[in-house]
Amino acid sequence: MSEPKKTGVYLCRCGGNISDAVDLQSVADSLKGENVVVNIQDYLCSSAGQDKIKSDIEKGKIDRVVIGSCSPKLHLETFRGMVKEAGVNPNLLEITNIREQASWVHDKDGKDSVNSKVKGLIKGAVARMDSIEPLVPLEKKLVDRTLVVGGGIAGITTSLEIADEHEVILIEKQPYLGGHMIGLSKTFPTLDCSQCILTPKMVAVHNHPGIIMHTQTEVADVSGSPGDYSITLKHSPRYVDIEKCISCGACTRKCPTGAIFLPFAQAVPQAYMIDMSKCDHCGACVKICPRDAVNLEAKEETSTISVGAVAIATGFEPIDPSFIEEYNYPSPNILTAVEFEDMLSAKSKTGMRLQKADGTFPDRVAFVLCAGSRDFTGKGRKHCSKVCCIYSQKQAQLVKKMKGDAEAWIFYIDMRSAGRRFEEFYHHTQEKGVNYVRGKVAEIIPKQDGTLTVQYEDTNLGRKGREIFDMVVLCPALIPSSGTKELADKLGVQLGDDGFIEEKHVKLDPVNTLNQAAFAAGCVLGPKDIHDSVTEGISAAHKVSQFLGKGMILIPPEKPMILECNGCGDCVKACPYNALALEGRKAVLSLLACTGCGICVPACPIKGIEIRNFTRNQLKAQLKAMLAEAPGVVVFIDPYAYAAADIAGVNRKQYSSLVRFVSLPSIHILDADVVNAAFEYGATGVMLIEGTTDEKLTLSSDELYKRLKKDTRKHKKPLRYSHIETAQYEKLTDLLNVFASQAGAKAEKRSRKEKEEGTQEGIAEAT
Amino acid sequence: MQKENIVPESRDNAFRDLIIKTPGGRNIPTCMQCGICAGSCPVNHEMDYTPRELVRMIQLGLKKEVLSSNTIWICTTCFSCSVRCPRGIYPTELMETLKPIAMSEGIRNRNAKFDNVFADVIKKNGRASEFLLISKYSISEPGMIKQAPFGLALFSKGKLPLSIDKMEDVRELDAIFKLGEKSVDKEAKESTVAKESKETAPERSPKENEGQEAEK
Ligand SMILES: Cc1cc2nc3c(=O)[nH]c(=O)nc-3n(C[C@H](O)[C@H](O)[C@H](O)COP(=O)(O)OP(=O)(O)OC[C@H]3O[C@@H](n4cnc5c(N)ncnc54)[C@H](O)[C@@H]3O)c2cc1C
Ligand code: SF4
Ligand code: SF4
Ligand code: SF4
Ligand code: SF4
Repeated sequence: MSEPKKTGVYLCRCGGNISDAVDLQSVADSLKGENVVVNIQDYLCSSAGQDKIKSDIEKGKIDRVVIGSCSPKLHLETFRGMVKEAGVNPNLLEITNIREQASWVHDKDGKDSVNSKVKGLIKGAVARMDSIEPLVPLEKKLVDRTLVVGGGIAGITTSLEIADEHEVILIEKQPYLGGHMIGLSKTFPTLDCSQCILTPKMVAVHNHPGIIMHTQTEVADVSGSPGDYSITLKHSPRYVDIEKCISCGACTRKCPTGAIFLPFAQAVPQAYMIDMSKCDHCGACVKICPRDAVNLEAKEETSTISVGAVAIATGFEPIDPSFIEEYNYPSPNILTAVEFEDMLSAKSKTGMRLQKADGTFPDRVAFVLCAGSRDFTGKGRKHCSKVCCIYSQKQAQLVKKMKGDAEAWIFYIDMRSAGRRFEEFYHHTQEKGVNYVRGKVAEIIPKQDGTLTVQYEDTNLGRKGREIFDMVVLCPALIPSSGTKELADKLGVQLGDDGFIEEKHVKLDPVNTLNQAAFAAGCVLGPKDIHDSVTEGISAAHKVSQFLGKGMILIPPEKPMILECNGCGDCVKACPYNALALEGRKAVLSLLACTGCGICVPACPIKGIEIRNFTRNQLKAQLKAMLAEAPGVVVFIDPYAYAAADIAGVNRKQYSSLVRFVSLPSIHILDADVVNAAFEYGATGVMLIEGTTDEKLTLSSDELYKRLKKDTRKHKKPLRYSHIETAQYEKLTDLLNVFASQAGAKAEKRSRKEKEEGTQEGIAEAT
Repeated sequence: MQKENIVPESRDNAFRDLIIKTPGGRNIPTCMQCGICAGSCPVNHEMDYTPRELVRMIQLGLKKEVLSSNTIWICTTCFSCSVRCPRGIYPTELMETLKPIAMSEGIRNRNAKFDNVFADVIKKNGRASEFLLISKYSISEPGMIKQAPFGLALFSKGKLPLSIDKMEDVRELDAIFKLGEKSVDKEAKESTVAKESKETAPERSPKENEGQEAEK
């Protein structure tokens, strides 16, 4: 590295988003005397902004770039692509986040404090830029196969759209495809029959040569890395071989307990199955089956597949409304909207007839909206479930259609019918004579005779009302299906605080996740209708194809360097991913297996291992420059928790401007050297915050913390560890505030004590 | 009931902000007018405004109507509204907040009588006496004559003792009442102060406040 290094620092006003809170000119001025070129732009991401950087590079003014702007999540790739074109190694451009993690979150603090934070961050970044080396990302071959999890309409669409170009494995935990849609009656806003539009799609999945489909299957384990996953699937037994069964039904006729059955006539796959809780092992079905398809001894099985990408389409489930005590669910004739749909769907057990518990038609039906949605007390869910306003009107229309003089009442708070054709649908339902009451139902009281009293306030009139119904349909909050969190954790995919999958970018990257090889579609991203689920399925398929189409995946080059080795093998034992091995009494690294977690760094007793561009000296240089500007609380943070801090920023959650984030690939690369240096350079406290859900790492976090605590004790300054998942951004800001104030109080106490001791010494000297 | 149009002059933002700052008032701005409070209220029909309407009127700062409504005096503090409100509003606590403000503003309401008689009896004797309470209330509320047979029946069964219990030293209680009145006065004063200062501080959740205090 003999060429002269000169860093260009580019600060973005972000149209006031940054410059209203930060005096960028003073930040620029503070860099005078350093070996840098400084420039401020209105919008760095605009072509004018980018052209400026490019031309500075091309003119030879600079060969490294530090950008002070919004989160790297938004534009890092754009900027790096641009410098690459101009001939600079992309790694020699880094972004310091001064919007989500500075200008948006310190309203309560004085401008001076925010300014000195930003100055420190930028100086740290410049020092870091001086010390790091150009790196070339590693390439790894992708496995050209996708796992789609969930066989609802979103998963079906995703699979079909991918399968012409890339192999697909589709897994579904139920014994049949279709998800909730196969349990729907008619579909709004056009009222076409759900199974009529869905069945052709399910059959297409079944027949497509590029799709392997497994029902009653879930993900048990994920290993490997993005682009090259090895996934273990768990298959529950069906006891009937899907390939052999020809659905003749001979078994059902022989079975004395009704344990063997076809889920429903149009079910895909078309094969019988056994409910083992009913089977008494008489073997009648085994004997009668002409195809020898029945196996009563079938056991749960596992299989392992190799895939490059995963599309998550695990959909939703209705919340169990029994927690709403005043609604008395479950009771005869009080049902959820999903149960209502079921009765009138392909899956119907009543011969597609709407009926009360006693088998007769309900003449008066009430629909109770927002049952568990829009609730900010912690009992229900905060979000609006989006589809209930419209489907309840569909159901009301169906009631009227089945019996002209039947009454249908809809109790709503706000009738949300935004979207093409929906207001017309609302109007049409009104014309059909459905009764609308604006008011949330207060109580549903079951009576002896099976009828139900519904009590409410008609908020348009300000008067309380009471009506008697034959059936009450609750429209429950729609929540992510159970198991979504476990799956997301296995894949390193983040969830929002509502439990739905967090998009890579809410608006601009709606079907990508923070894991570049994981995508999502349908209601697992939030409640929506079929139209939107299908749209997302198509989008996710496009994104998957785009990803797999590259054939190669770039893996971050920030990997360990083994600089010195005495062959002790401690690192080999420490590495949770089996990426290190001893060969001829020297540790050698398998680059592709290594995740760059850095556990090996502190494990090496002779400090022979360093992570490229995160070496001890590089980190120390950054900390020194950063803290020389002003002391603060140093928060070492991993990418997952960093994302939480970004969400806190987007939500303008305020916290102390003493907080200085130092971004690391993982907190496990830290040892006492670096933390002690932070204290020496003036940190009033140090926090380690990680958000990864990878147990291979988090299981050793406690040990890491204890070790650091012991080895940095001499400074008598606070050190804390915390695990914060991306969704927990509020917990993060609370924690930062409490820690910053504690660290501040401790620092003050210490300086007072020092002063006292100082004066005492002074007196002692005088006498 | 005559209802006035809502014009800028009918709204009192300082009143609204004052109520929002009270313990039961923090979530008032988030009321979505769902009406589950009113639908749950056992005495809703006796009220001139339903609990939901009362919350709406506070959102708008309709001070006069809020403080002179009988709703706050009719409420039985059964808490049905508060346990069901999906936005975490406590209409029950609001009623308790509004009563002393109405009184200190000198707003009379015939439904306040019972509260007043009750307070009088306590002030004089330091203890509640059912006999005194019923007889005094009956004098001020002629409609009570209809309840006379019921009262006699209670009396004949020994459920309405004539004894009047008294505290040993009622002056001790006086001191407590004085303190209470002082704080009511203070609240009323604050309400006028808040009215005068045009700019009102943006509301923060107590959680945030905690953080801020901890920082100091
Ligand atoms: C009562 C009601 C009526 C509706 N009516 C209409 C209507 O008329 N028109 C309309 O457009 N929309 C309607 N909708 C919305 C519609 O149902 C959804 O848009 C659609 O079903 C979403 O499809 P999905 O594939 O995203 O999710 P889902 O249908 O929930 O499918 C998810 C699938 O994933 C499977 N799964 C879940 N977890 C796992 C796991 N861990 N491993 C493997 N598989 C898993 C599930 O078993 C399921 O099959 C209605 C919704 C409700 C609740
Ligand atoms: S869609 Fe309608 S019924 Fe459903 S939660 Fe939203 S507002 Fe309530
Ligand atoms: S960085 Fe992590 S995965 Fe890579 S060799 Fe070291 S311990 Fe193993
Ligand atoms: S229950 Fe709560 S949100 Fe609903 S109207 Fe009453 S106060 Fe407002
Ligand atoms: S607490 Fe008062 S306002 Fe609320 S429901 Fe009970 S009586 Fe009605």
